[in-house]
Formats: sequence, structure tokens, C-alpha cells
Amino acid sequence: MHLTLVGLSHKTAPIEIREKLTFPAHRQADALSDLICGVQVSEAVILSTCNRTEIYAVTTGAQDGVDAVIDFACGHHGLDRAQLEPYLYVSQGDAVVRNLFRVVASLDSKVVGEAQILGQVKEAYDHSFANGAAGRVFNKLFRQSFEVGKRVRSETAIGEAAVSISYAAVELARKVFDTLAGRTILVLGAGKMSELTAKHLVSQGVHSVLVANRTYERAVELAERFEGEAIRYDDLFTRMRDADIVISSTGATHYVVHRADVAGVMRKRSGRPLFLIDIAVPRDIEPAVNELRDVFLYDIDDLSGVVESNLEDRQREARQAQVIIDEEFRAFEAWLESMEVVPTIAAIRAKAESLRTEELDRALKRLDGLSEKDRATVEALSQAIVSKMLHGPTARLKSAAAEKDGYQYVDTARRLWGLDADGERAKRAHGLRGLLRLPEKPRKDETGEGLGS
Amino acid sequence: MLVRLQGISMWLSMAALTGATVLYAYFFLSKKTLHSRYATALTGAGFVLLTASIGMYSSAAQGTRLVGPYTLVLAAWALVFVYFVVEHLVKLKVYGTVLVPVALALLVLAQILLPAAAGLKPTVEEVRLLDSWRVIVHVVLIVFANAGFAIGAAASGTYLALEAQLKRHRTTTLFKRLPSLAQTDLVARRAVGWAYPAYSAGLLLGVLRAVETDVTGWWQDPRVMLAGLVWAIFGAYLYLHYGREASGRTSAYVALAGLVFVVALAIVARTVPAGFHIFGIAG
Repeated sequence: MHLTLVGLSHKTAPIEIREKLTFPAHRQADALSDLICGVQVSEAVILSTCNRTEIYAVTTGAQDGVDAVIDFACGHHGLDRAQLEPYLYVSQGDAVVRNLFRVVASLDSKVVGEAQILGQVKEAYDHSFANGAAGRVFNKLFRQSFEVGKRVRSETAIGEAAVSISYAAVELARKVFDTLAGRTILVLGAGKMSELTAKHLVSQGVHSVLVANRTYERAVELAERFEGEAIRYDDLFTRMRDADIVISSTGATHYVVHRADVAGVMRKRSGRPLFLIDIAVPRDIEPAVNELRDVFLYDIDDLSGVVESNLEDRQREARQAQVIIDEEFRAFEAWLESMEVVPTIAAIRAKAESLRTEELDRALKRLDGLSEKDRATVEALSQAIVSKMLHGPTARLKSAAAEKDGYQYVDTARRLWGLDADGERAKRAHGLRGLLRLPEKPRKDETGEGLGS
Repeated sequence: MLVRLQGISMWLSMAALTGATVLYAYFFLSKKTLHSRYATALTGAGFVLLTASIGMYSSAAQGTRLVGPYTLVLAAWALVFVYFVVEHLVKLKVYGTVLVPVALALLVLAQILLPAAAGLKPTVEEVRLLDSWRVIVHVVLIVFANAGFAIGAAASGTYLALEAQLKRHRTTTLFKRLPSLAQTDLVARRAVGWAYPAYSAGLLLGVLRAVETDVTGWWQDPRVMLAGLVWAIFGAYLYLHYGREASGRTSAYVALAGLVFVVALAIVARTVPAGFHIFGIAG
């Protein structure tokens, strides 16, 4: 029994390849059914997002399992294996667990710390569970991965700071006004960027939107999208008095908002701050405007600086997230260890031996007057009975554990013998093998490189 | 026995506030809410112990001392109390990072000055002046008002720090941890808005007491003059804010100037042995 991962992501494959290997929600049931119908794969979860497709599987063999999963991926999409392999990465054993935990923690995402991935992994697991493709191992592994995702988001600040220009503008506006509810924004110019930024601000509860543009009709068009008000360009500075935030993105080749204009506006604002976002290149607003009291002007470079700083923060938080991943990995490792066949057999034998000696001592007390030779004979008899009783079941357990769903035999044996209470002792006595074991000859993709050259 | 318990309670209170100071600092840097919760719990424990200490001291001395270094202990107590009220109203734990260390510093200063003041006995004239409910209410109101002014000034300092960062387009740790301009301005305005009437009433009671005890030239006392200045500055703050709708920056500078005079008054009141308002000063 082996943990296997075959996948591709934005790091290994271009969009042209990624789009060929997607598993949309409505096709997951068929895909999972195909994947687990063979002898090689006993459990499977298919994670398919716009930036990655990863197939997690519990397989019977190491290399055979990998081949089975790759063959499935190619067969399901009618792809040529040789064409796909250069973009694939394969992991086995503990690397699969660590990879999943890093993915859920959003450390492997295009934008580190993005929040969507946790929901996407949950959705993938739900598909697997609903279609009977998740068993005891993946139920435990994926539920533990959700714990990782939750802990990383609650115990680190990995997702807190804005990492896009438009969100950085929102973040800065909130530093000035605290809440954007009830605020008024003025959009100067009807460009795409100003529209996007306005959209983010409106989603934060901005009360009203004013739109000014040289061409009044375009201002009306944009204003309608936000249920706002289009204003005449000549009224720009009169209406700027009502605004709290100004987003400027005109196509002008010179400044359209000067220091004197804003100074005039500020005199009529009763000390209310004004936050100006100039995302136009060339700039629309004279930089000297920032020198005015209660006026805060940010241009595109300033916003990029904020984004860069926030990205650095996320990288720092990612190191903290890695500590959480290591902790959760150790917890999963301990659980897996209890599912191993060798420690299970050892625990069964230990329990049987304990019962044998206990009963032998009791019997010898009652059989008073036995010679040393007789005592030795009785002891040998008890040992032989226990040994022969256990030989068959343990040999068959060893053999069954290597088959598909073999861990279920181990699990059943543990339950029948009541070993879970003694599980901790078994964990201490034996090293980690089985699911987290790497194959004899690990493929070079353990480092995350593609299979092909 | 009671005095010994009072001393233990005071030192435990200082230990709790020291722990809270460290945790608030760690919270400020790490932004982990768990640390702020522990810090608030320790501050609460420190406050309870300090209250117990003041209560035991008052029982042992058969009355609360309202002069000299004892007022520093009362000021620290009032500061923590007002901080809890503010924190409850606006949910801004970040102020604990500033105010709890200030309260701790006041307690430490009081411990340094207390031995020198311990042997002081009020003169007959002082006893005559102090023997009135007006004096008690006067001191309580002034202590609480000063706590409010300190919080207003702390918020104003925060406002100016954040404003400077916004102007310079800096995104330092300080920038990320500080609350918004609107929120700090609100805290400053409310703190000063509540403290000012208390200060006015406290001053009025003090003046009434001076007049009724026929202290000649009471208004020439340097502490009285400084108190008048503090009253005028925070009055100007409220006028600028509400009457003239001045910018947050202007108001913040005025609040900081007011705090400078509050501190100056506190120092003068404890060090300059001139005028009639000299209770608890050696020599």
C-alpha cells in the first residue's frame, strides 16, 4: 500500500497543457469510478483547479501505482503519455502528505496565502467521499489537511495583506477611513483599472459612486454599472468636495488634477481627509497634491510598493505555516504508524505472550509438586500452542496487507485484538514504514521536477 | 499585617502589569490575538490587585492619601480603568501597548518617591484645607481627567505616526499594526470629550475650596496657572474639533501640547515648594 501523487501545476505546465487535464465537478464521478475500478488504486481524490490538477491515490504497488494513475489521466483525456509526462510531477510516501498540506496551506499557490484553495480541496474530497473513492486513509489525510488549512489561516497572517493593486488601494483607503461603508468615491476617467478598483471599493460598502469623464456619455455608461451618478467634467472640483476617495485613470498625457485645484477643494471640506489613487500612466494628478494637509495621494508605483511589501510579509508568514505543516505531518505520521502491519503483528504476539505467561503462572501454582522437567514441558506446550495459533493468521495478515485495501485487514486485526489501547507502545517500538515508505528507486520527480527532460 | 498585604498586592500588581506590557509588545509585533487576550487578562489582574492594594492602604491609613506620590498610584489605577472603558467601547487593543507601560511607569515612579514622602505629615494649614469632600472629589476628577487626556494624547500620537507613514507611502510594521486615522481620531475626540468636563468640574471644586478657605492669591500658584493652561488647551482642542472642524492633524498636535502641560503640571506639583498647592512635597 502506497501513497501516490501525480499532478501538474502552474509551476510545471503552461496553460495549454493544464487545460487539457482538468476534471470539472460534473465529470468527477466518472473519473473517480474509472480510477478505482482497477486493482492498483484503492482510494483516490482528484483536485482540479485553474492552476493545478493533482491526483492523490492509495495504490497497491509503488511504480505500478504511479503508472496506473498516469495511464488513467492520459486515457481519460485521450492524451499521449509521452506528451504529458514532461509536465507531470510524481510524489510518493511522505512527500504526498507534505505536498497536500502545502497546497491546502496555500504555500504552493500562485499567490501565496490565497484563500480559495482550501475550499477547492474540500470540494475535491467531497466528490471523492460521495463517490466512494475515499477510504480510511484519505478520510484521515484530507480531514487533517483541512485542519492544516484552518490553522495556517488562523495562526498566521498569511492571507491578511493585499497582494493586488486594486486591493492595496482598498487596504490603504481603510487605513484612512477605517470602514468604507457610507463613503463616496469619485471615478475620474472610465478606464478598466479605475473600474476594477471602484468595483473592489463598492464591494467594501462604499455608499455612492460619482463618475467624471471628458466624454459624458462614457461617464453615464460606467455610472450605470455602479448605480452611481455621472457628473459633468466641468463640475469635477465642485463635486470632489463630496468625495472621500478619488480614483483617477484617464488617458490624458498631462496632469488633469493640480495642487491648486485640490487645495481649493480642501478648503470646503471641513477637515475631512481625501484619499486619491492615481493609477494612470502618465499620471493624472500632480504629485505636489500629497503635500496638502489631510490629502493622501498614491500613484501606481506607490501601490506596487505596498503589494511588494505585503508579498514579503506573506513569505515570512509562510515560514510559520511550514512549522504548522511539520506538526500536522507528525500527527498524521503517528496515526499511519499505528496502521502498519509489522507493528500490528508484533503487538498481537506481545499480547498473546502476555496472556500465555499469565495463564501459565496461574496453572503452575495449581499444579504444585511438578518437577523442573515437567514445568519446562508445560511451558513449551503453551508456547507451541500460541505460536501455531498465531502463525497462520499473522502470515495471512502480512500477505493481505500488501494487497489492495490491505490496510483494512490490519485495521480489522487491531480491532479484533483490541490493540488500539496498546497502540502507543507499538508506535514507540517501530519505525515508520508502509504508506509513507518511498519505493526502492524513487523517481527523480521527488524534488518536484517533471518526469520528462 | 494589612500594610504587608498591601505591599505584596502592589508588587504583584506591578508584576502583572509588567507581564501585560511584554505581551502587548509581542502582540503589537506578531498581531496574534491570543497574546492580546493574555495581556488583557494580566492587565485585569493587575488592576484588581492594584485596587486591593489601594483599598488596604486606605484601610490601614484610615483614609486614602490624595497627595504626593500616592496620586501617581491613583493616576495609574485611573489610566488602566479608563483604558478598559475605551477598549470595551472601541475594541482597540493596540492602545494597551502604549497605556499599560505608562501605568506601570507611574507605579514604578510612585515606588521610588514613596519612601521620601512616607514621613511627611501635613501641616495644620494643610489639614484645614484638605478637610472637605470637595477636595476628595477634586482629586478624583482631576486624576480621571488626566487619564482621559493621556489616552487622547496617545491616540493623537498614533494619528500623527500613521499620517506620516501614509504621507511618505511607507508600509512598515508600525504602519500595518496601527489602527486607521478615523478610528484614532474618534478615540482621541471621545477621550478628551469625556475628560474635559471632569477636569473643568475638578478645577471648579478646587477653586471653590481655595476661595472658601480664604487662601490669598491662590490664582498665583504655579500649579493653578498650569492647570488653567491645560484647561485652555484642551478647551481649544474641543473648539477646533467641533467648532472649526479643524483637521485631525491640527487637533492631534493640540492634544499632545495639552499632555505636555499635564506632565509639566504633575512634575511641578511634586517638586516646586511654592504656592499653597504643595501637599506632599518634602521641605
